[in-house]
Amino acid sequence: MTIDERTRPAPASPPRGSGSATAKRILPLPVTGQEFVLIGVIVVLWVLLGIFTPAFLTANSIQPLLVSVAPIALIGVGMTFIIITAGIDVSVGGAIMLCAVVVAKTMVSVDIPLIGAVALAVALGLVLGLVNGVLIAYGRVAAIIITFGTANLFQFFALRVFGSSTVNGIPSTLEVFGRGEAGRTLGVPNSFAIMIVIAAVAWWYLRHAAGGRHLFAIGGNTNAARLVGIKVQPRVMLAYGLTGALVGLGACFILASGTATLDQSVGAGKELQVIAAVVIGGTSILGGRGSVIGTVLGAILVQTVTSGVTQLGWPSQLANLFVGIFIIIAVGTDLLRERARRKA
Amino acid sequence: MISKKRVFAVGAIALAAVLTVSGCTSRTASSGDSTSSAAAGDGKVTVAFVPKLQGIPYFEAMNAGGKKAAEELGITWLYQGPTTADAAAQADIVRSYIQQNVSALIVAPNDPDSMAPLLKEAADKGIKVLTADTDAPDSVREVFVNQASVEGIGEALTDQLMTAMGGSGDYAIVSCGETAANLNAWIEVQKAYTASKYPNAKLTTIVYAGEDQAAATSMATDLMNANPNLKGLVGECTSSAPGVAQAVKDAGKIGQVFTDGLGTPQSMAPYLKDGSSSASILWDVQNLGYLAAWTGQQLAEGKTLAATNDVNDDLKGIAYDSASKVLLLGDPLVITKDNVDTFDY
Repeated sequence: MTIDERTRPAPASPPRGSGSATAKRILPLPVTGQEFVLIGVIVVLWVLLGIFTPAFLTANSIQPLLVSVAPIALIGVGMTFIIITAGIDVSVGGAIMLCAVVVAKTMVSVDIPLIGAVALAVALGLVLGLVNGVLIAYGRVAAIIITFGTANLFQFFALRVFGSSTVNGIPSTLEVFGRGEAGRTLGVPNSFAIMIVIAAVAWWYLRHAAGGRHLFAIGGNTNAARLVGIKVQPRVMLAYGLTGALVGLGACFILASGTATLDQSVGAGKELQVIAAVVIGGTSILGGRGSVIGTVLGAILVQTVTSGVTQLGWPSQLANLFVGIFIIIAVGTDLLRERARRKA
Repeated sequence: MISKKRVFAVGAIALAAVLTVSGCTSRTASSGDSTSSAAAGDGKVTVAFVPKLQGIPYFEAMNAGGKKAAEELGITWLYQGPTTADAAAQADIVRSYIQQNVSALIVAPNDPDSMAPLLKEAADKGIKVLTADTDAPDSVREVFVNQASVEGIGEALTDQLMTAMGGSGDYAIVSCGETAANLNAWIEVQKAYTASKYPNAKLTTIVYAGEDQAAATSMATDLMNANPNLKGLVGECTSSAPGVAQAVKDAGKIGQVFTDGLGTPQSMAPYLKDGSSSASILWDVQNLGYLAAWTGQQLAEGKTLAATNDVNDDLKGIAYDSASKVLLLGDPLVITKDNVDTFDY
């Protein structure tokens, strides 16, 4: 009873109907300032590239760009959940490699339908994600250490499955997610559309569902979150499990946009591309703040820069320079903002 | 609490940075499929080969050739490499073979400069030292078993593409590592040879995709969009050769944009058959492994190489240049839709 009284709103507080008004005041704007900046940067870049290259702003150029964005942004949605809880997952590259090789080998040896391939990938990804989640949530070890370890484990298993050779002659089962004609509906790449739908659901969940708000609370202050009765461990585990499932679907996207041969370079470095998209998108690496809209925009920005550098005929390494600068600016502004807030 | 969190965040970023820089080196070498671990002792000549990395079709095919040679020549063949193209992990394997006191040691060095002192250590112990696939020119190696001359590869890549393009038009190269010496040497030949032999053709752009198929594919797509006149694409390594062909196929430009590249037969087969790739340039990798094993045996038995050598029915008149100590496998192999099915790697 005493607890009840402590947590219950003061008797003078407004009735339930206007409670949502209070909630609206607490919630950040649907689209944050950093996201407007990102949209502005992307628009400016697209216009400039449209002026200075013959074909950047054509369907033939934008469609493949969106296909390349899809897996990074998709996995980035899960990574946003994780980083909001002040965690990180550097094992997604290894997990992509394992999911991709298992699905590719299965497709080569049995005539598995599209839905079966996707289900297999998502199920395997979910298991891998839950391994991370259980170890981090219940083992209480720093996420970067655990996922660094599992990254190597996943790579080990993937290399075992590869068995010292590439996977050749992968059938075109997954072409609905690919770069070709079969991969588009009304001109929009299917993989990108699926990613947008999932990102939209995730955006709603993070913003309006209690479970989503709990993730922010955990990232803001884990102990405080635990004290107000949030089930911290299941929530954290779920964030890693979700990322794993999205890695599975993302691996299908990556297979579809690859060639008929899969080699062991698949997934290499993808964890850093995903983290880059999340960080550039304005999600705080300290946890407690972030949004999937920013992550999707971050992924689009990174791919725009990479494609743009190639289409302008500039040296390839400039893409690394620009992405590096974006990351430093994004993390820098976040830390400065955090510092200002602490002082205030 | 604040400082703890900040320390964690800084640590996280630092670790991520370390991962980027050393991502490859963290994986350690796994044990290979050594045909026999009884290195010395039974009196047989033992030839060990350390590839740049193990588990890719290219070096597995070399291993197959070496095994075949071992059976036919009555030697013991050992094969082990790192699981990533990492110089330090490779050095560990070389050290272990030196300890096993093999008769001949063949290395395809990831980093020729750092491998040189180790090769000297081996030679000081009386082990015959060779390089194959990739040379370590400033080392004590006695022979370099060369798959193909730089000119041979560069000219074959250009000739095959020009045949498809009709000898004129713009083309671009999707290369891999920016610092890969062999790729860069081929590209130099392609530039010079195109300018001298095909005056109506022009190499417009060179981009670098790393060893990443997906990156090679999307860069090839970008190049086609950026240069509407582009008529040809070269995939300079085994990951970008299928990558550029896939890009042409996805864009529906088979017959308008032509590609060739350095690809292994099995990975190129679908593209050669649907016309998105016109040809793949390689060398007979199994024969390269065979030749390396044979050469190791010759040196271990104290024989010297002649100016031309007949190894077996397949390998006749193999040229040896005693000044540069290079044994040359022969002309590059041109793989097309007609012969691609005869290779099983």
